Amino acid sequence: MSRGDKEASLLRLARRAGHLSTSLSALLFSLFVLIPFAWVIFTAVKSRWEVARNPLGLPADWQWANFAEAWRVGHFDRYFLNSIYVVVPTVLIVLVFSTLAAFAFSQFRFKAKGLLFAVLLVALTVPLDILIIPLFYDLLGMGLLNTHWALILPQAAATLPFGILLLRSFMEDVPKEILDAARIDGCSNSRLLYHIVIPLSRPALASLLVFTFMWTWNQFLLPVVLVQDDLMRTLPVGLNYFQGRYSTDIPLLMAGAAICFLPIVIVYVIFQRQFIKGIAAGALK
Amino acid sequence: MTRGLLLNAGGDSVEGEQPRRHGRVSWMQSIPAYLYVAPAYVLFAAFFLRPLVELCYLSLTNWTGLGPKVLIDLDNYRELAADPRFWQSFQHNVIWMLAAVVVPTSIGLFLAVLLVRSSIRGRLIYRTIYFLPQVLSSVVVSVIWRWIYNPTYGAINSVLRAVGLDSLAKGWLGDSATALPALFIAWSWVHYGFCMVIFVAALQAIDETYYDAAKVDGANSLQQFWHVTLPSIYRPLTTVILLTVISAFQVFDLVYIITKGGPARATLVLSVFMYDNAFRYSRVGYGAAVGVALGIVIFLVSLVYMRVRSRLEAR
Repeated sequence: MSRGDKEASLLRLARRAGHLSTSLSALLFSLFVLIPFAWVIFTAVKSRWEVARNPLGLPADWQWANFAEAWRVGHFDRYFLNSIYVVVPTVLIVLVFSTLAAFAFSQFRFKAKGLLFAVLLVALTVPLDILIIPLFYDLLGMGLLNTHWALILPQAAATLPFGILLLRSFMEDVPKEILDAARIDGCSNSRLLYHIVIPLSRPALASLLVFTFMWTWNQFLLPVVLVQDDLMRTLPVGLNYFQGRYSTDIPLLMAGAAICFLPIVIVYVIFQRQFIKGIAAGALK
Repeated sequence: MTRGLLLNAGGDSVEGEQPRRHGRVSWMQSIPAYLYVAPAYVLFAAFFLRPLVELCYLSLTNWTGLGPKVLIDLDNYRELAADPRFWQSFQHNVIWMLAAVVVPTSIGLFLAVLLVRSSIRGRLIYRTIYFLPQVLSSVVVSVIWRWIYNPTYGAINSVLRAVGLDSLAKGWLGDSATALPALFIAWSWVHYGFCMVIFVAALQAIDETYYDAAKVDGANSLQQFWHVTLPSIYRPLTTVILLTVISAFQVFDLVYIITKGGPARATLVLSVFMYDNAFRYSRVGYGAAVGVALGIVIFLVSLVYMRVRSRLEAR
C-alpha cells in the first residue's frame, strides 16, 4: 500500500468514526428523553407489589386495570373538560383580539401609537406569575373566583401583547402594492383585513394558536390559586391534586400521569411540524 | 417557554418605519384605529395593567388579605433588604440562571448542529423526540422526575444499587445539598428543547456557500463551527440566552410542586417566596413587594442585556 492510500483509508476511518459518534450521541439523547416516558408507562401497569420488588425491569404481569382505576378515582374526565372549556375561549379571544389590534398597528397611523406599542413591549418582560396576588383579590371582588372566566381572562390578557407583536411583525410584511390596489378598488378596511391580510398572515396565526394553546393548557399557578373547587380544576392542577392524594400508590400515580400526557403527546406527534415551525417562526421573526 | 420570545422583534420602533406623509394625525382621524385596538386593550388593561398597578400599591401596605389596607411607606422593601430568606431565594435564582445559560443552551445548540449539519438519518424523528418534553405540563414533568429521584424505588437509586454503589444512593430531593441541582436537571430536561428548536431554525437559514468557502480553505468541522456557524447565529443565540435568563428568574412550577422551597429553604426561589408570603403566611403586602422586586430584576436584566447587545452590534 502506498503512503497516499494509507492516508486515504485513515481519513475514511476517521470519517466513519465521526459518523458513528454523531449517530451514537443522537441516539443517546433520544433515550434520555424516551426512557423516562417508557418507565412511567411500565410502572403504571405493574402491581404495587411488583414496583417494590422490581422497580426497574419490565412488568411481568401487565395490570391494565390501573388505568381504569386512575380514570375512575382521579376525575380526569372532569379535568379534561375543564381544560378544554378554558383553552378554547382563551385561544379564540387571543386570536381575534390580536388580529384586530395588529391590523391597526400595521396599517393605521394614530395618536399615542408609540406609547401603546411600548406598553406591549414592557408587558413582555412582566411574568404573569407575579400578578397572581392582585388577580386573586380582583377576581374575588368580581365574584369570578372558581369559574372558568377566572382562568380565561387573565391568561388571554397576558398573551395579548405577545399575540399583537407577533401578528404585527407579519402583517408589516404584506406587500403595500396589494393593499393599495385593493383600497383603490374601494375595499373597506374590514374587507381588507378579512380578505387579504388574514389569509396572508395564516402562518403567524397558526404559530400564535400553538403558543396560546400550550401556555393555557399547561398553565399551573393561575388555576392553583384562582380555582379551589375540585369540579373546576384543569388537568395539570387536577393531576397535582391526584399526586398529593395517591403519592404512595405509585402505579396508580403513574397511570394518572400517563392519562394526562398521552393525549397531548399524540396531538404533538401528529402536528409536530406545525408545533415546531410555529415556535421557530415566532422566535426568529 | 416565555412570552418574552418577541423581545427581539419589538426592538424596531413602531414610529420610524412609516414616512409621515400627511403630518400629524388628529384624534378624530385616530378613531377607526382605536376601534380595532379597543377589545385587546380593554382586556389587557383590566386583567394585566390594573393588577400590575395594584401589585405596586399592595407592596406599600401591610395588608393581610382582610381588613383595611394601611400604607406603610417603603417598610416592606426595607424588611426585604434585610431578610436572609429573600437573599437566599435571590441567590438560588442567580445560581439557577448561571447554570441555565450554560447547560440547556449548549445541549440545545449541540443537538441543533447535529440535526442540521450532520448527515444523520431520521433527523425528523430525532427532532420530534428532543422537543417532546416541551409540550408537557410542569406537573407531568414533576411526577416523572419525582419518580426518578424516589429514594426507595427510583431509577437513579435502583441503578446505583444494581451496580453495587449503594453508598451513593440517597434521597436526592430531601438532601439540601442535592435538591436544587436535582430540580435544575428536571427543568433542563424540558428547557433545552426550546433552545434547540430556535437554533435549528437559525442554522437552517445559514447560506450553504459560507460552509463551502470554509471547506475550500481547509477548515475542519470544529473550525467551521467557530468561524461560520457561531457568527451566523449570533442574534438567535443571544436571544435564547436572554429568554433563558428570564425563565430562570421566573421559575416557579417545578419548585413549588416538588419541594415547595424545601428542605430547609434549600430550593427557595423568589416566586415561591412570594407565593408563600401572600397565600400561606397572610402577608399579602410583603409578598407583593417580593413580586415587584422580581419584576424589576427581570425588567432590568432584559433592558441592560439588550442595550449591551445593540452596543456590541453597533461596533
